[in-house]
Amino acid sequence: MSSPIDVSVIDAVRERFRARLASASSDADIKAVTDEFLSRKAGAVTVLMKQLSSLPADDRRAFGAAVNALKTEIETALDGARALLESSRPPAGAVDVTLAARDRAIGRVHPLMQVRQQVEDIFARMGYEILEGPEVEDDFHNFEALNMPPDHPARDMQDTLYLGVPTVGGTWGAHRGAVPPSQVRAATLLRTHTSAMQIRYMKTYAPPLRILVPGRVYRRDNLDLTHTPMFQQCEGLVVGERVSLSDLKGTFETMLRALFGDVTVRLRPSFFPYTEPSAEVDISCRSCGGSGCGVCKHTGWLEILGSGMVHPAVFEAVGYDPDKVSGFAFGMGMERVAMLKYGVDDIRLFYENDIRFLEQFPI
Amino acid sequence: MKVLVSWLREFVDVPGTPAEIAATMSVRGFAVESIDAAGADDAVLDFEVTANRPDCMSVLGMAREVATAFGLPLRVPAVAPPGDRLALAPLSPVARAEVDVVIEAPELCPRYTAAVADVAVGPSPEWMQARLRAAGVRPISNVVDITNYVLLELGHPMHAFDLSTLAGAEIRVRPAHAGETLKTLDGQTRTLTPEMLVIADAQRACAVAGVMGGADSEVHDGTVTIALESACFDPLSVRRTSRRLGLKTEASMRFERGADPEAAATAMARACALLAATGTGTARGAIIDRHPAPAAPRSLRLRRERLAALIGLAIPDADVTRLLGALGFGLRPTADGWDVAVPTRRVDVLREVDLVEEVARHHGFDRVPVSFPALTTPPAPIDPRISRARQLRSVLTGAGFFETMTFGFVSATAAAPFAAADDIVPIANPLSETFAVLRPSVLPGLLAAVAHNRRREQRDVRLFEVGNAFTRAAGERRRVACAWTGASSVAHWSGTGGDVDFFDIKAIVERICQTVRVDISVAPHHEAWLAPGRAGAVLAGTTRLGVLGQLAPALADQYGLPAHDAVYVAELDLDAAETCARAGDVRMEPLPRFPSVARDLSLLVDDTLPVAALRQTALAVAPATLQSVREFDRYQGKGVPDGKVSVSIRLTFRSPERTLTDAEVQAATDAVLAALVSTHRAVQR
Repeated sequence: MSSPIDVSVIDAVRERFRARLASASSDADIKAVTDEFLSRKAGAVTVLMKQLSSLPADDRRAFGAAVNALKTEIETALDGARALLESSRPPAGAVDVTLAARDRAIGRVHPLMQVRQQVEDIFARMGYEILEGPEVEDDFHNFEALNMPPDHPARDMQDTLYLGVPTVGGTWGAHRGAVPPSQVRAATLLRTHTSAMQIRYMKTYAPPLRILVPGRVYRRDNLDLTHTPMFQQCEGLVVGERVSLSDLKGTFETMLRALFGDVTVRLRPSFFPYTEPSAEVDISCRSCGGSGCGVCKHTGWLEILGSGMVHPAVFEAVGYDPDKVSGFAFGMGMERVAMLKYGVDDIRLFYENDIRFLEQFPI
Repeated sequence: MKVLVSWLREFVDVPGTPAEIAATMSVRGFAVESIDAAGADDAVLDFEVTANRPDCMSVLGMAREVATAFGLPLRVPAVAPPGDRLALAPLSPVARAEVDVVIEAPELCPRYTAAVADVAVGPSPEWMQARLRAAGVRPISNVVDITNYVLLELGHPMHAFDLSTLAGAEIRVRPAHAGETLKTLDGQTRTLTPEMLVIADAQRACAVAGVMGGADSEVHDGTVTIALESACFDPLSVRRTSRRLGLKTEASMRFERGADPEAAATAMARACALLAATGTGTARGAIIDRHPAPAAPRSLRLRRERLAALIGLAIPDADVTRLLGALGFGLRPTADGWDVAVPTRRVDVLREVDLVEEVARHHGFDRVPVSFPALTTPPAPIDPRISRARQLRSVLTGAGFFETMTFGFVSATAAAPFAAADDIVPIANPLSETFAVLRPSVLPGLLAAVAHNRRREQRDVRLFEVGNAFTRAAGERRRVACAWTGASSVAHWSGTGGDVDFFDIKAIVERICQTVRVDISVAPHHEAWLAPGRAGAVLAGTTRLGVLGQLAPALADQYGLPAHDAVYVAELDLDAAETCARAGDVRMEPLPRFPSVARDLSLLVDDTLPVAALRQTALAVAPATLQSVREFDRYQGKGVPDGKVSVSIRLTFRSPERTLTDAEVQAATDAVLAALVSTHRAVQR
């Protein structure tokens, strides 16, 4: 038996190869490693093979076998490395999925309209007829029939913008076949509240009824943090036999919880000329949960709408018999709701129409 | 109404902290706007008193409400023991004293009481000054302070004249003479009209009745004799006078809401007592009381059943009696409820429903149960305008437009381009020039919003608004308007389309019209505020629904919009569109069973020829199998002579009954080409 051959030179090449391969990460690296070890001229394996002739004849076979084994190992390892590199390469036609999308422009419904649509939906579910009325009105429908005769002190509560010339108002009620006399023929003012439509509707249709009238209203107010000369209201009116204050209460609890989530609702006596009894409706403050904070002026409550039982004088003005029917009415400002819901602290933002403001609201 | 808690407690022993009193009164109809500490152990509650409750514009009035709310007895001044600060001097009306009172207009002054007193003018006692200051009233002198003290305590306005300045020792309540002038206490000289009621002496006006006294008869340091006035004036008259003079006072605010004729006398008695108690002076002789026609107290019927029906809750009789009794109403039971005597101070209680409110208010709205109005008839339909406007909003936001809300009024300058001057509706009492007229178009507001966004680093702006516009001729009309400037599509790394042009805004107009179900065409149009040659009229048949096009650069410049970026706009009349809209349900068309065949034609035509003319001619001459004619290329430049344009159109043929043969399609195409050549001098390329 021959003595064991010295394979330390082979092992040294193997170690060197493994180290080189481990740090090879590109096609070029692998080519360099291939050349370094397998080049026919000066590759490390070739150099080992060339040593074969200088060995004793007895050792040549074993040494040659060991070098061949190394060569196979190197070739296999290089094939593996090439395959690995190949498989990590993106397929033909691959895209960079992290690139920016080809965006289509998308706008937004105005936040006040979003709130209004939510209110409309809540009342539509409760069977309300939803309709719009004219923005220009006459004194009778805006004031007088609402129990506010000329020089009534309550007119001070709503400073009015008057028109320089009588103007024809927009049509309404086409879907119900509203008769032409119920249209506004000579408006003299910009309506100060959507309540004017209560009168037009009741003068045109007989009870029972339940309506929601959303729309723009106008007051002679200067623009500031909390006032605008035009704002959006939703007016509601329910008339029937034995409609009561408790019906009003149930309706508002339902509506305000649908709008604001789990809030407590309270009624507070108030005064409007066209309702009796009258009530302000408050919700528990969402910022502090009712314990008192800056948002609710430390009362724990937020005033959200004005309401009440329709005043018999209003029924008399439209030809309803106040002994036979009763009803409730309410008016809610969309700005107030939107400010509380979305944390808007300056009402003017709604009318600046800054896209950076508008785009913050849901699509 | 600012009320000092310790003053309130003179009338009712209400327990609890100021905050607790405030919380209770808030749900009884008197919201508290603020609670301010006053010294170590006192506070001022600022109650919001609604316009219908002049009786509560006083400490006594609020005390009555507090007493009712807390179920406590009320101490009224008349029943206080002698020697107490609340004691009243006896009131014995006589015909003549040191001054004569003549009411010339009894319909405007139902009651006038007067007293003459010898006084030593000086400061009022410190306790009185402190109370006045707490209520926000500046102490002036003992005489004036007493009248103000009574005003705050009992709610009835009073006035003191320096008797030596009243000519003829006479007080006449009469309408002002036309052009009569009076220098009021605020130092201004006012010109009066006969609609205004004055308090005059034998010669001239000395006070505007119920509004403000005159400077010349004012009590001053040297005054030794005063005439005290405690009267009642007609609310409407005071209100009109106050408005016309632009003069709102503590007195006018109370009189215009309605004063209590009984309180006129009580206040006079109280003031005389205070004169004596504070050492300010002594009433001379008796009090004069002119009350020609005292009104009978109002009596109302309150039905038990009606009360329960309106509140939705049956309230026990005992509670009704207790609550109304505490508020001073006199109740007499009847078969179905009560006959209720209304105290004269309750000018707001005019009918049964007002009593219902009083009971509900003090019983507590929190105790009203929750129910829902019953639906007894089918619910009425929702106005289709509401749902159609919603569809418009989703279509336009889907097309990249933001909805705006702009004001219904604009400046006259902003309105001018959009309607003739005599067609614009002015506002009679505008807040400012900015809001001087009703908008004749939605566009001015929309363009201002475009400009606002452009100034804030937004180059690409698409806005729309659904709203009403107003003209004298057409009245109020519902409209939709759009404005688009900047890129026609969102910028992308792969390359980007160009800027918005006419055909972008035209697509939006078509989409709007599809949404409201109107078939339209667009015709060339001239409009001064649109760029020439880039304006179109939107037509439904022959009805013009609106216009579209590029905003005239001169107008864009007025809004501060840069000249290098075109703004495209459109505005349509939704009311007009509604009358032209297809009604009823869509009827489904069967899907085609046979293939279509397309033929393309490339033509040279005059560049002034509208493509619509080619389409119309083609459709007119071709058989019914020609389904559509659509241009797919348009070219001017190399190879096309000047004044000409190359237009390529695609004819699509299809029969619902069979597959068309090449021969018949070719024949039809040849016929179309021949017609285009002969009608429009088209040349096939």
